[in-house]
This record gives sequence, structure tokens and C-alpha cells, in this order.
Amino acid sequence: MSETLTASPWLDSSEKPYIQIENVTKKFGDFTAIDNLKLDIYKNEFFSLLGPSGCGKTTLLRMLAGFEKITDGRILLDGEDISEIPPHLRPINMMFQSYALFPHMTVEKNIAFGLKQDNLPESEIKQRVEEMLELVELTDFAKRKPNQLSGGQSQRVALARSLAKRPKLLLLDEPLGALDKRLREQTQFELMDIQEKLEVTFVIVTHDQEEAMTVSSRIGVMDSGNLVQVATPTEIYEAPINKDVADFIGDVNILQGVYKGQNEVGTQLQSEDSNSIVFATQEVDASPGDKMWFAIRPEKLEISKKKPSDDHNILRGKIEDIAYGGSFSTYHVRLQNGRILKAIRANRERTEEHHLTWEDEVYLQWAPHSAVVLLS
Amino acid sequence: MKKFGNFNIAALVIGFSFLYIPIILLILFSFNESRLVTVWGGFSTKWYGELMQNQGIKDAAWVTIKVAFVSSTVATILGTIAGLVMTRFGNFRGRTLFSGMIYAPMVMPEVIIGLSTLLMFVALAVDRGVFTVTLAHITFSMCYVAVVIQSRMSSYDDSITEAALDLGCTPFRTFILITLPIILPAVISGWLLSFTLSLDDLVIASFTSGPGSTTLPMKIYSMVRLGVTPEINAVSTILVGLVTLGVISASIIGRRQKQNIIKV
Repeated sequence: MSETLTASPWLDSSEKPYIQIENVTKKFGDFTAIDNLKLDIYKNEFFSLLGPSGCGKTTLLRMLAGFEKITDGRILLDGEDISEIPPHLRPINMMFQSYALFPHMTVEKNIAFGLKQDNLPESEIKQRVEEMLELVELTDFAKRKPNQLSGGQSQRVALARSLAKRPKLLLLDEPLGALDKRLREQTQFELMDIQEKLEVTFVIVTHDQEEAMTVSSRIGVMDSGNLVQVATPTEIYEAPINKDVADFIGDVNILQGVYKGQNEVGTQLQSEDSNSIVFATQEVDASPGDKMWFAIRPEKLEISKKKPSDDHNILRGKIEDIAYGGSFSTYHVRLQNGRILKAIRANRERTEEHHLTWEDEVYLQWAPHSAVVLLS
Repeated sequence: MKKFGNFNIAALVIGFSFLYIPIILLILFSFNESRLVTVWGGFSTKWYGELMQNQGIKDAAWVTIKVAFVSSTVATILGTIAGLVMTRFGNFRGRTLFSGMIYAPMVMPEVIIGLSTLLMFVALAVDRGVFTVTLAHITFSMCYVAVVIQSRMSSYDDSITEAALDLGCTPFRTFILITLPIILPAVISGWLLSFTLSLDDLVIASFTSGPGSTTLPMKIYSMVRLGVTPEINAVSTILVGLVTLGVISASIIGRRQKQNIIKV
């Protein structure tokens, strides 16, 4: 991994952001698609905009590309205000969700198209096209037309075409949406490799949270036209800011209750889901009686038939469903009050000694530092 | 392949006979040796030869082709622009009115179009001739091109245009280099359609033509009033051939384009 990626420029206050989205608002008639959004993206970042459909992530991307006019606010690229610059004059390229290959041109001509618009000499165009074809491993397909390519190949042509001009910033709109799972995973790694090799800033829009987690340096979770949380994948997963983010990214068990106070272990929650005392090490600013939630990821719940020796952070229930996933199994455990929690256990042994099966009475336990305390 | 039942075969035969027997008879009798239209006197192509001697018909044919060529070309340009506006500019103010006005000539009786254009030319004191016929033909055939283009554009992926802009191509160059080549088959079939429409129009041409601008359908019509001759059959056969060719090429181009879309 290159140095620029391991560093975290967003933590360094002396670092200048590469893209500055300043209080941008976008309205379509009465509908507000983007609501006073602020975001800084740094050079060489692989930034994901993640959110449910209709949250405004694609609109934001299209404003960066110049296809949507900003209603209010401005966007700076490398310190320069680009809000009023039409798309064909921006040093930004985009990879479209539909790939948008030119159907009447060969792969080669598709890739060369952007370079020809810059009036580069023929020899340089040729060399760069070859470079790009090599990068996406499509040298043998140079003379093919788009309708003779598979989905994965079209995707790579689209990527090569958008990278050919060596843009300062590459926007990717659901770039892997049309690929099947295996190809998607493989392509995610290719994308990361290419991004590191070419040192281009990537902004990607996706609704696939796994994809966002895999590829990104940071993720911006969006909802109804604004950013809910901007953080690294680990932070988003391990320290979500509220229930919505916790729920949107990965699976999560949420215990509801009221704040009881702090003790030597940490925050104490009185929950209707558990008879035992529930702790989390995280300290919060709340007063007794305040509503709060504990978010615990399924893989952080220990599931066993044996009663744990501790007396805190324990839930009792019955296994209602088991989803065998090969490397791990997901257990759906119904608590005494009827709620269902999910617990994930890695299948480390081929024949399970402590075999768990349907209708087994089990204990769920977790470490105090495994739960996230959420106030909203 | 599904087998046709007896009823279906009968329905097809009767239907097609109803449509095509008159035309087949016309073509057949254009190769008749005899001067009498209803009596078969053996095979001959002499009437086609005779046709070549008839200056009146040759003049009319030349006028028709000139009018059809110019009017279909202009109608294609205007119709393409109209079709693009209808599909590319979203719901602009007055869109319904605009589309209604574009498509009105399709449902308007030809007599009305002919009469109203005639009145306009009279009011503007324009001398009627090849020019006025051409203008009138542009007016009524433009809407057909607009329909063809609009239906093509409904399956056109707008992000292709955006991709070209994104790669640094100006909007105008994008149209020339990307949009136009992709919709070219639709443009050509629109042109062929308006060409054939102009070729066989009688009503509107009758209203808007003047001395020296008699089109072929008008010429045939006036000749028929003096009695049907094998010569008319011959010239009509040529006309039928041209129109068929135009319609068939338009549909072949249209189908090939559809296949391309499916493949993409």
C-alpha cells in the first residue's frame, strides 16, 4: 500500500482538501435532493458515497461531474471553483452505471475518444490507448465492438475510457452493479490496485455496503440529501453514529433501554431484553432515565449452551433458525420476551463438538467493549 | 413453427387478395401487348418504351423526384430536431401543446392541409410552383420523421451523450460524433418514409402546385380522366416499385437497428 493511502489526511489539519463541497444544495422543483451538504475529500482518497436509493448520492456525483446545476453553494477542485464550469471542460471523468460505451465504435476508439478531443498527436493517443488496454487486460479485444463484449469486459472498457485522459478525479457511479458476485469481488480488488497505481482520487457511489467497506479509504453515509456520518470503514462499522447507520452497514442487534448510570465498568443500561445488567465501556453524556440503545454486531455475540460464569451482559434464548454459511453459521435466537437476535459463529471445526441445533436453550454473551452506545 | 388452421389460411388469402389483387392486375396489364386495358394480348414491354417518349410524363416524374428529394431532406432535418426536443428536454413548459402541434398533420385531413397551405400562399402572394409544393410536403411529412426519431430516442441511453461530454467533447460535436451516428438508421428510415409520402401525394400537390409543377400522381390522375391506358399502368407500376422499395428499406433499416439495441 502506498504511503499516501496509509496516511489519514483528514486527521491532519494542515492538509488541504482536494475537493471541497461547500454548503451545496440541489433542488428539483420543490424537492430538495441535496440539503446544505458539506464535505472535504483529500487527494488519492478512495471515497465512497453510500446510502439507500433516493438519498441523493448520485445527484451529488452528477454535480461533481457537472451534469446537474448547483442550486446553492459551491464546489472547489484543488482550490478552484468549478461550480459554473460545463462538464466537457472539467478535468474530471466519470464511469457510468450503464457503462455508456459508444456502440458504433470499437473498444480502441472508445478509449481514444477522450484523447482525440484534446487534440493529442496520433502517436501519443495510440500509446496511451495501448497502455490502458494493458491496464485492464483487454489488448486482444481492441477491435471489438461493445455488443461483442461480456458485462465484465464492458465494465473494464468503461473504466479504461474514463482513465485514459488521466483525470484528477474519477467518479464512479455504481461501477460494479451489473456484475455477478464473484466478478464483482475480483473487480473491487482490481479497482483498488488501479487507483493506487495511477494515484487518482476516486469518488464512488454505491448502495452495496460490502463494496464500500472493501474499497474505500473513507465512507460517507447519506440519507435524505445529507451526510449522516463520514468516517473510515472500520469506524463506520465499529462506531456508527446512530441506529440508522448501524443498521444500514452490516447486521446488527440493537438492545433498547434507559440509561441507569456509570459504574466502574462503564455505561449501564436497563433493558427489557435482558434480566442481567448490561454494560458498555464507552462513556456517554446522558442522565438517568434517558432512552438509549446498545448496538452489538452478531459476530461479537458469544453463543453457547453452557451458562457463562460472569453475571453481566448475558441474554437467554432459544435457537429458532440456523443459516449455515460454510465458513460461519448465523443463529437466530429468540429471547424470552420474543425478540430475535442474530449471532454469528465461525465454523472452525469440521465436526462440531459443541453442536448447536434448533430449539437449543442458549446463552448469548458479549464483552463490555463490544457494544456501541447510541443516543439516537 | 405453428401450423395454420384452414380458417386462418382462408382469412389470410382473402385479406391479402383484397389488398393486392388490384395492384397485381395493374402491374400485369402494364406488360400487356394490347391497347385495351381489360383484354390480355400477350407479354410486351412496349408501353414502358412508349413512356420514355412521353415528354409530359417525364417532366412530371422529374418534378416529383425533385420535390420528394428536397422535401424529405428538409423534413428529415426538421423532424429530427423536433423528435430530439420531444425526448431530450424533459417536461418543458408547453410540451403537450408542442407535441400536439407536431403530430396534428398526421390526423388532419389532407384536403384541409392542402387548402390551408393554398390560402396561405395566396395571402402571401407566393407564386405557386415546385417551391410551394415542396414547402407543403415538408409540412405534412415532417411529423412522420418526428415520430420515428422520437421512438428511437426513447430507447437511447442519455448517459452515452453525457459520457461524450464528460470526455471533453463539446455539445455540438457530441451530437455529430455520437448521437447522430447512433440514431442514423432511424434518420434514414424517416427520410425514406417522407420520400415515399411525397412521391405518392396527390391531394396536397393539387392544391399547392402551379403551372409547370405537375407531379406524377397529378399527371396520372388527369390522364385517367381521358381513359385508362396501358401507359398509365406502366408508370404506376414504376411508382409502386419505388414506393415498395422505400418502405421495405425503411423497415429493414428499422429492424437492424432494433437488433443492435437488443445486442447492446
